[in-house]
Amino acid sequence: MVNRSEVDWNGANRSGVAVSWSRHGEADCIRLAGLAGPAGLASCAQEVRIHPATAVALRTAPPMAGRLLRDGPDTCFLPRFPFLDGTAYIVTVDGAVVAELTRARADEAATTEVLAIHPSAATVPRNLLRCYVWFSAPMSEGQAAAHVRLVDDAGEVLAGALLATEHELWDAGRRRLTVLLDPARIKRGLAPHREAGYPLRSGAPFRLVVDDGFRDARGRRQRVGAERRYQVAGDERRHVDPQAWTLRVPRAGTADPLEVGFDRPLDHGLVARCLRVVGPEGRPVDGVADVGAEERSWRLVPRHGWAAGPYRLVVDPVLEDLAGNSVGRVFDRELARPTDDPRGAGPVAVMFHPG
Amino acid sequence: MTEYGLRVGRAELGSAGPITFGPAGILFLADNAAATVFAVDVNDPGRPAGAGPFELADVDGRVGSLLGGDAADIAIRDLAVHPDSGNIYLSVQRGHGEQAQAVLVRIDRADASISDVPLTDVPVAAVTIADAPAPDDERVDVILPLGDEGEQITVGSRTIRILRRPIRTSTITDMAYVDGALLVAGLSNEEFSSKLRRIPFPFTDGAGAAGNNLEIFHVSHGKWETAAPIRTFVPYDGGRAILASYTCTPVVHFPLAELAPGTKTVGRTVAELGAMNQPLDMVSFVQGGEEYLLVANTSHGLIKIARRDIDAQAPLTEPTEPVGVPRETADLQGITRLANLDGEHVLALQTDPEGRRHLRSLKSASL
Repeated sequence: MVNRSEVDWNGANRSGVAVSWSRHGEADCIRLAGLAGPAGLASCAQEVRIHPATAVALRTAPPMAGRLLRDGPDTCFLPRFPFLDGTAYIVTVDGAVVAELTRARADEAATTEVLAIHPSAATVPRNLLRCYVWFSAPMSEGQAAAHVRLVDDAGEVLAGALLATEHELWDAGRRRLTVLLDPARIKRGLAPHREAGYPLRSGAPFRLVVDDGFRDARGRRQRVGAERRYQVAGDERRHVDPQAWTLRVPRAGTADPLEVGFDRPLDHGLVARCLRVVGPEGRPVDGVADVGAEERSWRLVPRHGWAAGPYRLVVDPVLEDLAGNSVGRVFDRELARPTDDPRGAGPVAVMFHPG
Repeated sequence: MTEYGLRVGRAELGSAGPITFGPAGILFLADNAAATVFAVDVNDPGRPAGAGPFELADVDGRVGSLLGGDAADIAIRDLAVHPDSGNIYLSVQRGHGEQAQAVLVRIDRADASISDVPLTDVPVAAVTIADAPAPDDERVDVILPLGDEGEQITVGSRTIRILRRPIRTSTITDMAYVDGALLVAGLSNEEFSSKLRRIPFPFTDGAGAAGNNLEIFHVSHGKWETAAPIRTFVPYDGGRAILASYTCTPVVHFPLAELAPGTKTVGRTVAELGAMNQPLDMVSFVQGGEEYLLVANTSHGLIKIARRDIDAQAPLTEPTEPVGVPRETADLQGITRLANLDGEHVLALQTDPEGRRHLRSLKSASL
């Protein structure tokens, strides 16, 4: 595509035009020195073209958007969209190639890594719906499908286990990735479930693997890959039931924590936002809440001492377990089972009195 | 444009998402990074810009050339066709990570010239897509920003800059405008729910702006019921009905008139896409005076469904093949986006086996 014999790779060429990366004010630009005559600028607007090198083969691709400015004896091309690191650009004057310039790629050491993979439970139900991966720095989008996978103990990828989607689910800071297992294979009765079965098998351990090719927002690889291994139990198809939880109630007058033990691991993302404690006057209790090991417990250390109560632990009905069953509904409820029936859309409260 | 509440300003797009046209040539653009939908007057010339089929090979390479990147730097997130001029609009993410930029691109139907559409000093309105169930979610991810974003705080003798961003987000997967309302389908990064938002347009201030949330269930084989997120949908029958496909793949029909906040809507399954297959986009078109729907998906060619079959279809209760015949001809593989180009053509974005992307026209009469 580019006739390299025309180009002097030190920046000048037979046409006598020297082309280089430069700056114009605050902006990056491509600087052309030695273009013909002062009258040249007006015609330059017609004649100087910049294309990404890969677009030259398309022949009729539009030139890169931008404008030409006179800077002393030189002409500068200021792009409307910044040059991209690692991209090669072809500069033509009157249709003839005068230079190919490659934008340097910042060669920074890889420092980003996976901080945590959830669930943190060692055992998950066969109908596990969702995992979360926390990274130490903001990440690039469009990487998850290629760099996150489930594998068995032999290292074989569990094909089609994860939901294939162009819509990656990130938090606003691009540090937490939500990974869904294919719900079509989990929901009973659907063709994918009948044809391909569950993504996981009871009794067959698997690992969630994040490889070191997952690029962060600066385009760097991970410092090291990460993985978490899980055992697989049977199915979980019951509502999340706050009445089945155990409460360790603090004594009145103390600032001891309220400790709540769940009957099964709950969803990492939801458990952190779906619980709160409301005091005797209906005001939320101020304090520091944290989630325990394996997302099996939650505790609240109040800022001030407990009164005699009554207090209410208020649970948002969207709170889910690892299989997508919530307080309000079972993930794929069986219509013929009355115990599966949806339970109201309002919050559920568990009353307690500090002793 | 003041009649629609648009004021001259800037649509500051943080990310490129779904786009769709509304009334008077107003384009809706979803920005998932900012949880916002913009309504923009794109100042399209408005005149019919051409007729007949439209073809453009290597659309990603050509758009990349204008935007100064390689084809691999260009993600075409959605396409829409201006209802009057037939000009083609692409929602494009250019570059990756910190270098990523959202750009709206117009392709002139008459001469295939490509330009970026200004989003500054244009008539614009915006609505925030709030997650209704948890307005009191105070969790934020606190990071040290790379630039001068965020706020400055002083801890002891040290002053640092931090950036707070919400952890819970909702990703808009598809949008459509019907009779004074923008319908928005989304996917939460936490709970698994089936919310379809109906946002009145012109956008209004206050709580009403977030729209009412409609939950649509689906039942498989008369036995199991799930509320799953809608991935893609299309209004049809003059806006009276919706055909939607869920992340768990059934294609479901429901009448729009039945949707009311607080009432339970159960969609009627009209087709299943089969294992390892995901819905990508849908469009409705007319052939021989009859309305049909096309479903683009990851594994098969296009699936064509006749409206009269939907109307006559009893809910699927037994395993069955998809209604309508999948169009399995080789030249219809790899289609990821669809839009109506005119009464006679459907515009398709197609990825070929080498990964190059092309715009091509499918003649409605031969689909």
